[in-house]
Amino acid sequence: MSSVNSGFLDRHSRQEYRQLTKNAGVQLDYQRLVSAGKRLKLGDSAPLLKLAILGDCSTQQLAALVKALLGEAGIRTEIHEGEFDAIELQCCDPASALYRFGADAVVILNSAQALRAAYLHQATEGGDYAGDCLARTIRIWDAIQANCSAVILQSTFAIVPDSYFGNFELKVPGSLRSLITALNANVVAATRERTGVLIHDIEAVASWVGRRLFFDERMWDLWKLPCSLEHLPRVAKSIVDVMLAFRGRIVKCVVVDLDNTLWGGVVGDDGLEGIELSTHGGGAGESFVRLQLYLRQLRRRGILLAVCSKNDEAVALMPFLHHPDMVLRRDDISVFVANWDDKASGIRRVRDELNIALDSIVFLDDNAFERNLVRELLPEVIVPELPEDPSSVVAFLSELNLFETTSLSKEDLQRAMQYQREAQRRESATRCANVQEFLQSLDMQIVVTRFDRFQVPRIAQLMQRSNQFNLCTRRLSETECSALMRDESFIPLYATLTDRFGDHGLISVVVLEQQQDALIVRDWLMSCRVLARGVEQFLMNHVVAQAAQLGLKSVVGEYIPTAKNGMVRDFFQQFGFTRLSTPGDRWMLNVSGYLQQEAFIRLAQGARSMNGTEDS
Amino acid sequence: MQSSNSTAERMSRIFREVFDDPSINIRDDMTSEDIDAWDSLTHIHLIFAIEKEFKIVFTVGEAGSSLKNVGELRMLIEKKIGG
Repeated sequence: MSSVNSGFLDRHSRQEYRQLTKNAGVQLDYQRLVSAGKRLKLGDSAPLLKLAILGDCSTQQLAALVKALLGEAGIRTEIHEGEFDAIELQCCDPASALYRFGADAVVILNSAQALRAAYLHQATEGGDYAGDCLARTIRIWDAIQANCSAVILQSTFAIVPDSYFGNFELKVPGSLRSLITALNANVVAATRERTGVLIHDIEAVASWVGRRLFFDERMWDLWKLPCSLEHLPRVAKSIVDVMLAFRGRIVKCVVVDLDNTLWGGVVGDDGLEGIELSTHGGGAGESFVRLQLYLRQLRRRGILLAVCSKNDEAVALMPFLHHPDMVLRRDDISVFVANWDDKASGIRRVRDELNIALDSIVFLDDNAFERNLVRELLPEVIVPELPEDPSSVVAFLSELNLFETTSLSKEDLQRAMQYQREAQRRESATRCANVQEFLQSLDMQIVVTRFDRFQVPRIAQLMQRSNQFNLCTRRLSETECSALMRDESFIPLYATLTDRFGDHGLISVVVLEQQQDALIVRDWLMSCRVLARGVEQFLMNHVVAQAAQLGLKSVVGEYIPTAKNGMVRDFFQQFGFTRLSTPGDRWMLNVSGYLQQEAFIRLAQGARSMNGTEDS
Repeated sequence: MQSSNSTAERMSRIFREVFDDPSINIRDDMTSEDIDAWDSLTHIHLIFAIEKEFKIVFTVGEAGSSLKNVGELRMLIEKKIGG
């Protein structure tokens, strides 16, 4: 075999490892790994890890797999395998080969089968068997830590499929399953109070695979293998994942796409009310909520979240600000990139703002084109394939085990908050200018018109469909809209909006009625497609100006809450209305006390006057 | 010429992979003496690979038995797949 530049190979093999994690389950193939392990040659410049593996089972196959997986991650591994079933002996002897080896890490692999055998061979039952096992385990840690500075990787015990009492098993304190369960809990608890001992959760692997498939009793009886050869690579990978985290390879930030990743559908097309995202609606909407909950949990433990979406920022922000079922809020996102640049640029911006390495970033996007583009331009970024079915994304990400860590400090938990505050400071300095500039750049033009027979069908349609930005949710029919159109005591208005990206068509309906010296808001609804653009501010200016023009003293409105219109709960309050003491959620504004709202929208030419007399 | 899907040919492919030697063509009279890499460790791998390829499950006795030669292994496989 020709010699290969080691730098290239390191890089190449790291990519291959990423490819592997991308397709976890498929690529964790015993034959593939054994072959890869034989062919892998890492240069002397590759980092070296000296790993001791001590087991009460056969560890040769496992050692080869661990070496192959670490090799594919660019790490040269020297492995010392302890003598079979002599863990305590080797650890307690300061002159043993284990300590001469000089390990960086010691893996202690306790097999469930060995525990089972020892348990069943007891001369008499009784005594504190679990306590004895725990004491022995701690004795071994003490010995290792007294003799070397290696980190210890202690396995949990897989729960064997044997059943002696059926469902009663766990009610018997001394049963095998009770013993293993208690032992795992106690061993893990002991590691919490101790530095330098990490957990390798082989029980989690066994239960993920399923014990019936994980265990292969022939392999134990014949060769003392701890599990089926088929699933040994997964055991190896879980050891390797801890080792990589121990060596500092940890994910610090998850960058997520929005449309069809964080929610179903495209918010720019389907509107705020049209995206699939629901805490109780059933179906895909709940899957997206569950993914958001998963991500929020990651954030709570200190992994940063960032957004990278091809969208107008105002549109991308809408669900974060206004969607009632959105789990992630704007505050949860450390860097929010929504523009029309390519996603590699967006991810570079995330890296720069957070000052983290590209290889500590995971990028989640439903779109294969975007994933491939990022893999191509930023090969260090971890880009998992994503299952098409949103309901399986969380399980898939969990299976990849991308978020391994070896410590969880208070700083970790606070880190997300710190980054957050920093990012907010930076942003608040520029945000106002940005949003205003952005809105100005949109060149929005609005037409506000009294209902006309051409638009009545569309007006009625919007009145049927609009749920969220709808103050009273009256569902007027076409006939009722036509009647309003002809009724001189009403001022029924609709608005259409255009901007430099195109025509948004009918976007809002406001029905006003003059009663004595007040202008009453009978209906006010708006398409969520145009949220956060200043349309409602513009229209309120318009309505108040109309009241003034008619010589009216006040504008009065009502908010009728429904299950879906929570986003306009504070609608009147935001414009300076005061709440009336009359029953219902009724509000009043003195026309003379109104503060003109800022809105970067022009009234377009051809607008008709509001009192029903048509210009022509 | 042997059909590429005969038991022997499928076994040859497995042997080449497991023993990492593309030149292997099995014969019935071959024993572990004839293949350098055939030791207790690779034997486990061989059993695993055969089970996967032929979708069969050896009993503990079959998996651990010291078969006289490759021919015996081939006949055992054929018996188990009901060929």
